[in-house]
Parts: sequence; C-alpha cells; structure tokens
Amino acid sequence: MYKKTTKAAVTAASAALMLTIGGCAATGTDGTTASAAPKAAASGKVDYTKMTPEALAEYLIFEAGGFKLDQPTQEGTTGRERITQDELQKACSALRDRPIDGDTAVKVNALARNSIKYPEGGIKLGDWKNGRKLAWSGFGFRMGHKNDDHSKGDPGGNCYNCHQLATDRTGGTIGPSLTGYGRVRGTSEATLKYTYEMIYDPHMYFPCTKMPRMGANGMLRQDQIADIMAYLLDPESPVNALPADPNAPVN
Amino acid sequence: MFKKLLYALPLALAVPGIATAANDYADMAPEEILQALIDETQSPYLSQSEQNLMMMPDNPAQFVAEEGEELFMTPRGPKNATLEGCDFGKGPGVLEGAYVELPRYFADTGRVMDLESRLVHCMMTLQGFTKDDKPIKKRHGSNSDMMKLQTYIGMQSNGMLWNPPMDHPLEKAMRDAGEVMFYRRAGSADFSCQACHGDTGKRIRASVLPNMQVPEEWTKAVSWPAERAGHQNVRSSQHRLRGCYWQMRHPMIKNGSDASIAMISFWTDAARGQPAILPDMKR
Repeated sequence: MYKKTTKAAVTAASAALMLTIGGCAATGTDGTTASAAPKAAASGKVDYTKMTPEALAEYLIFEAGGFKLDQPTQEGTTGRERITQDELQKACSALRDRPIDGDTAVKVNALARNSIKYPEGGIKLGDWKNGRKLAWSGFGFRMGHKNDDHSKGDPGGNCYNCHQLATDRTGGTIGPSLTGYGRVRGTSEATLKYTYEMIYDPHMYFPCTKMPRMGANGMLRQDQIADIMAYLLDPESPVNALPADPNAPVN
Repeated sequence: MFKKLLYALPLALAVPGIATAANDYADMAPEEILQALIDETQSPYLSQSEQNLMMMPDNPAQFVAEEGEELFMTPRGPKNATLEGCDFGKGPGVLEGAYVELPRYFADTGRVMDLESRLVHCMMTLQGFTKDDKPIKKRHGSNSDMMKLQTYIGMQSNGMLWNPPMDHPLEKAMRDAGEVMFYRRAGSADFSCQACHGDTGKRIRASVLPNMQVPEEWTKAVSWPAERAGHQNVRSSQHRLRGCYWQMRHPMIKNGSDASIAMISFWTDAARGQPAILPDMKR
C-alpha cells in the first residue's frame, strides 16, 4: 500500500514537473496544449524543435498530413474521429511502459463504470456456434485502400488474436488463456455479469488493459457479445470440452 | 523506464564463433547474423521459424537487389542521370553503411528523411522524375523500381550497427515524437504499438512478436526491406508501418509524411547498436 501511494505521488509530481518544463497549459480535450504548439512563423513553417514531443506527435498526426483523416470509417465518421483520443486512451497512453499507478487506476476504473451499458432484458447466453466464428474472425473496422466492408460480413471479435480458447485452434498469448473458461466458473449471474463487463469494457477490472473495449467502442453488438459469451460459458462449447484423459488406453 | 533485462550478457564473449565486435557481423550473411543473435539470446521471436532460417540463403530479395543495383547505375529520367550522385547522408554515392544512419536530417531539404523519401528526392532532383511517373509512383512490389532500389541500398548496410544520428535538434524532435506515437493508444481497439510490441515472447495467434525494448529482437523487426514470404514480395519499412496501422484499426498513415518518418526514426533508434539483417526474410 505504501509503495503504491509513493509511486502515485512521484508520478503526479513528475507529471507536474514535466508539464511545467514543457511550458504546457492545461491539456485541451483534443490532446493539444495551446501554449506548446507554436504559432507558424512568418515563413509559414512550424518549428518542431520548439514543441514538446506530445504536442509534436499530435501536430504530425492531425495537422501535418500524417494520416488520411478524411478516410470514411465503418461507423459513419472519418479517420480524424477514429484516432482522436478519449480520456481513457489519454490516461493510459501517459503510462507508456510503466505499470499503472493508483490515481490512473481509479480514474480509468470510474470511466469504465460509466461506460457500461447492459442489454435490455438482462445478460443472456446466445449461440456458441456463432460465437466460435466470431471469436476466430479478425474481420472488421480495418481501414485500408479498401476498408473492411461490413455489408459483406459481420465484423468479428478477433478473440483468438490474443487468447487461447478452444484447443482445436491456435490462439495468441497476449491475453490469458480462456480454455475451460465456463467449465471452471459455471454460469451464475455473477459470472455472466463479470464476463459481459470484461467484454464490454475490461478497464472496469483491469484499468489500462491492452484488451479493446469491444462493447463500449462499438466493435461488437449485443447479440454478438451474447454469442461470444456462449462460446465461453456454454457447457456444450468446445472451449469447455474436457481435456483428453492422459491415462486412458490408446485404443 | 524499465528495460526488461531478460538475457544475461553473453558469456558468448568467451565462446568461439559468436560475433561480438562491430566488424564481424558485416562479413556475415543475413542468416548468419540472425543465427548469431539467436545463439546469443535464445529469443523466442528470433527463433520462431526454422523454416525461415533455412530459406534465407535463397532469399528472392537478393535478386531484387541485383536489379536495383542495375537501376541505380543506369542513367535514367528526363535528366538521363544515374543515382550515383545521390547523397543518402554519408556523401554522394556512398552507400556502405548509409541505411543504418537513416532517418537523418538533410540540410538541402531541411527535413529528417527516411530512405524512401530521400530516394524519391534524388530521383526527382537528379533524374528529373515527377511524383506521378511510374518509377516513383509505384512504391510496392518486388517488380517496382522503388523496391529494387531500396533493397539494393539497404543491402549495403547488412551487418552494420543501427546508428541513426541524433545530433541535430530536428532528429531528436522527430525521434521523440515517434516515441509518443509508439505509446499512443487510439482507434476502435484502443491499440498502440506497445500493445503488441511491449513484451517478450508473446504471440498474436501463432506468430511470436518482437519486443521493442529488446534491441536484439527489434533489429530483425526493423530490418526492411525484407521478403514477406506470405506476400511473395519484398516489402519496405513504410509498407510495414502501413500494415500495422491497418491492423490497429487506425486510418491510413501517409507514406513519406513526417508522422511516418517520426515512427521510423524512433523504431530505428530502438534498435541502435544491433546489426541490421538486410535483406531479411519474414513470414
């Protein structure tokens, strides 16, 4: 407990110090700091060397032709909206590679709690067979020369990208293995609620987790979440198949 | 900043056959450099594909580089000039070790430039091509002039240690902005580069990822141009960067933009001191 408090205090102090040195005023909601972004010189050129790294990064992204900001997104906005950071993203980005401090954890947890929307009629399990497809599919929301076209197919959850789920397919190890997820936990109301919240906004339990906010960010619909939850929790799902008995005779 | 010291300093210093001096890697073929790094670190990323190591001696990128050498020496464009007059940072026509010192500041343009943007600059100023001419416009694919030239130029730095200059304030500013971008979480999936490249030995599906904080891994990660076996084409640094942002659910980064060069500046600095593997081969 003592260590956490100290770290939080140190983090807050160094953040304040860095803000002072960088000559930044309070951060605006768009991430730029008015006093750190210099006015263009008479020649029209901006001096990168007079900007803080944070201000220069935002400038390069949003004002120096870094990205195709007018590119249409699948959700009806443009690239600009897609990569404008919200409060949670800003808070977690500031950690860089450091473990999370107490203040950030409290702040992010509160943001997550406020974001959770529960399904009408309560949390229910859907169809694990469709959940299996959704967990495997990495289609959706990608923006390239040809954007992923959601009229051609449902975006998936891409769960296998980071997680091992059923053992008939290879999953990633960025996140913990979910093999046997339902077999271990059962399907109580508490388990359903926790599982739903993890998929909707995992920052509720793991502030600044690497896992996407599949629900809060609109990557999965309610029916898709229900199907993926079934894949995790339905006793019939291959995620919950008993492992082969190593002592059973081979024939 | 906690660097994850996962690998003990090589006792390999005492073991014959392990290259540690700066010169040794420069005499080695790309696959030998990779093998030496594997022997030194037992990195799960570096050693994930025996097949890759086996295929490297026959890397198709070598033939792409040969075609690039020919293009480089051939008078071309409205000005009918070769690229031998191009200054990649170490003086006109000096290619040996030039790529490992990019991106860098160029006084004639007042910009920090990566290999691709500098090459485009020389093709325009020395040879008279315009941005719409095919030799410049077509950036991707083994049969593009751009990839042939980049692969050839990159190869002249094989085995040399990454050493992008940081003397000019603009070089430092771009590198630092790239670092902020590396950690910048955004997009539908809240991804930053660090989400995938912040740990050792983690996998996306079946592929082991390189950790930006482990230079012995990161040097292979940033060794482009490289043959992408699955694409059957040699790919550039800019292509890799674009591919990352596509998977991250961000809009497209613009090739040659200062944002893209800031990223490449940071990621090259992160590999500093390690030998470049050029041309490389990847899945």
